[in-house]
Amino acid sequence: MQGLVKDLATLLGPTQILSQPEEMLAYANDATHYFKSRIPDAVVLPHTTEEVAKVMKYAFEKEIPVTPRGAGSGLAGGCTPVHGGIVMDLKRLNQIVEIDGSNMTARVEGGVVLKKFQDTVEKRKLFYPPDPQSGCVCTIGGNVATRAGGPRGVKYGTTGNYVTGLEVVLPDGSIITPGGKFVKQSVGYDITHLMTGSEGTLGVITGVNLRLLPLPEADRTVIVVCETLEQAAEIVAEIIARGAVPAMLEFLIKLAITIMNQYFFPPLPTDGEGYLFMFFDGTEAQVEYEAKLVSEICHDMKAKEVRLIEDPRAAATYWTARANVYPLIQTIFERANSEDITVPRNKLPDLVRAVQEIAAAEEVMIGLAGHAGDGNMHPSILFPQVTPEALEKSEIAIDKLIRTGLDMGGTISGEHGIGIHKSKYLAWELGDIQIELMKRIKQAFDPKGIMNPGKIWMEDGDKHA
Amino acid sequence: MLRLEDYEKIIEKCSHCSYCQSTCPSYLVEQSESSVAKNRLLIIKEMLMHENLPFTPRAQEILDDCLLCTNCTQTCSSKVPIDDIIIATRIKIGQKGVGGIKQFVMGKMLTQRGLTGALGKAGSVAQKIGIATKEIPQLASKSFDKMYSGTYTPAGTVKKRVAYFVGCGTNFIFPDTGEAVVKVLNHNGIEVIIPKGQVCCGIPALAEGDLEGARSMVETNIKLFAGLDVDAIITDCTSCGMMFKEKAAKCLSNDDPLQEKIATVTAKIWEVTDYLQNQGLEVPPGRLDITWSYHVPCHRGWSPTVKDAPRQLLGQIPDAELREFDIPEQCCGGAGTYFMEHREVAEKVRALRLQDINNTVSDVILTQCPVCRFYIGFQVMDREVTHPIKILAQAYGL
Repeated sequence: MQGLVKDLATLLGPTQILSQPEEMLAYANDATHYFKSRIPDAVVLPHTTEEVAKVMKYAFEKEIPVTPRGAGSGLAGGCTPVHGGIVMDLKRLNQIVEIDGSNMTARVEGGVVLKKFQDTVEKRKLFYPPDPQSGCVCTIGGNVATRAGGPRGVKYGTTGNYVTGLEVVLPDGSIITPGGKFVKQSVGYDITHLMTGSEGTLGVITGVNLRLLPLPEADRTVIVVCETLEQAAEIVAEIIARGAVPAMLEFLIKLAITIMNQYFFPPLPTDGEGYLFMFFDGTEAQVEYEAKLVSEICHDMKAKEVRLIEDPRAAATYWTARANVYPLIQTIFERANSEDITVPRNKLPDLVRAVQEIAAAEEVMIGLAGHAGDGNMHPSILFPQVTPEALEKSEIAIDKLIRTGLDMGGTISGEHGIGIHKSKYLAWELGDIQIELMKRIKQAFDPKGIMNPGKIWMEDGDKHA
Repeated sequence: MLRLEDYEKIIEKCSHCSYCQSTCPSYLVEQSESSVAKNRLLIIKEMLMHENLPFTPRAQEILDDCLLCTNCTQTCSSKVPIDDIIIATRIKIGQKGVGGIKQFVMGKMLTQRGLTGALGKAGSVAQKIGIATKEIPQLASKSFDKMYSGTYTPAGTVKKRVAYFVGCGTNFIFPDTGEAVVKVLNHNGIEVIIPKGQVCCGIPALAEGDLEGARSMVETNIKLFAGLDVDAIITDCTSCGMMFKEKAAKCLSNDDPLQEKIATVTAKIWEVTDYLQNQGLEVPPGRLDITWSYHVPCHRGWSPTVKDAPRQLLGQIPDAELREFDIPEQCCGGAGTYFMEHREVAEKVRALRLQDINNTVSDVILTQCPVCRFYIGFQVMDREVTHPIKILAQAYGL
């Protein structure tokens, strides 16, 4: 890497390069710092696609690893620069290029922060639903790269459902623009959606075309307290089966509620085991009807309490608290490893039971929260103390959790991506043939293997499951 | 006691979620993770606590660039007291004599209110150390303590008694705020006692890592206020309020005999609009045809209601209309004395703030922080920037 920093400074100017360790400590990992960390050799902070292309061309010539990075808030280690080299911080590509109300589309640079974009379109009565819970910082380019989603997945799907086109810098520095502003296209391979979820292993996402929806005029928040976790899971399955479509349907356990209660007035009762947070949006008549229907279902199924939140400010506090559950959990545990299992929705009660059995059998604490409405649960191994013994037990428990989810016809990741965190389980879900196919695609895009190496699948020398 | 070693465990609570990137002003202007709270914690952990890496001048600079606005601490769901850790670091570095954090001159000057023109001297100090800025606030021709002192009793029944802690901003630069505080409180049947001998609350000294200076100011003020027979202790400045409520006790050891008195004061401290809103106005304000915007000061975390108090209080004035900023809580970059020593970062932070301010049409900008008032005021020519209590005074015709 000799001369790397000097070369990069010549390419971009010294104010767009970081090279001292103290400037790059935060770049050594994402929000899964307990898995792997490595301080990169340099960080570049480009402002334009052309600058990204210049760096890629240079890295391609010199065969230097490049790890693209959005906010660094990921939960799979996707932007951890495990092979060192250059971290490409894309947060300065932060312009909302166009919001086209007549076409219901938008064009943004890859580093635009999700919340800023959502606030901007909502002022124009437009709506961009994907809602990874790190929305206050995460970037749309990062969302595309990880095919991110959140609670609204149940009704609105995830990032991939809104991407219609991209601008991508390929590993050799060439720029392509697959897809476009149109909302449908049938022209050859769908490179746009191949890039979506590629986790920075095929190229750098510098621009994104998005589809927008009209902003729903009304909403309602309903909170349900359930006697048991199973009851909560059965209520979810019943709600889906009866055709109600909440925009969000979140599942939480008592432990989470006790921590979240600092946000709520009056606090939620803590005598239940399972809790559901639901959000309905649409026309006034529609939300009125759905909230009523769901309240009836909950009463019929003997929920302990159904709380309809009328005041929008109060409702907002529930959702703010929900968005903060993961960091909040860290205040009382030394560590929390969050999984991302997604199962067909009628399997939710089975999954909930299985999680409890695994926790009991392996003597680990497993916190259970997730986007129950779309079957995406985040069982988290909670460590009161991180010890070698606890780590070993947790690994066995996670293996069992993943296997259970797959056996139910589920997937190992609904919205976080694979990164380094879940690569061990890739073969369990995809099998060797699909992985080999993926590797050949990777080879076609990135013949020198410089794009975010060490991600998605296991590397030689990694510990195999 | 703000000892860095006491934070070794809690610093591990940082989950690297990066949410501090959403509010950290130095990050928002630099758009580089070097300059965000998370990286500062990592520097402190790796370079000062565990000493895995050498502590360098660049690392020092990154820590110095923190405005101590507390936005990261307020944003942090993992509840890492980031501002306290930065203060503890500055104290430790100051003690070790490593690097270049300057011993705080201005804070020392403010320990003695008797010094006329303290801020004028601060200006000249700023110029001497090569950070010449024309943006040093004009001193009031007569400081507040020269005009007001002692007990001010309302005309009718005395409903409550409060003691008034007068911050340096009001005392030296904006005595008009102080006048309005006394008049509005009196108008609502509240007796106001202004004890003699008050000194700076200590927050500017603490921000520079001058624990000794801060401690001595805390001692002086606490001794003055703790024994008073009052219902509440009022400040018009959110930063002074934060100092009393959250920081004063941390300036002394846990077993210091003064802790009990600090607790007495801490329990009674209120920002003036917060207090009035909590008590309820005795007299309804008169009509005032005015549109106003509210710049919420950063040092608001010590009271859950302080940021809404002006909205609710002034909402009771017939015809006065609130025009909200896009991001009412965005830092202006002034940050105490930060803008003098870190002119470049401060001006970038302010420029970002001004975009929002300039996009919002209103007659007046209100804020409870005197530094925000003058630092924003230097660049906003079309509107007055003032304290919300002054608008209430105006509505009362006082």
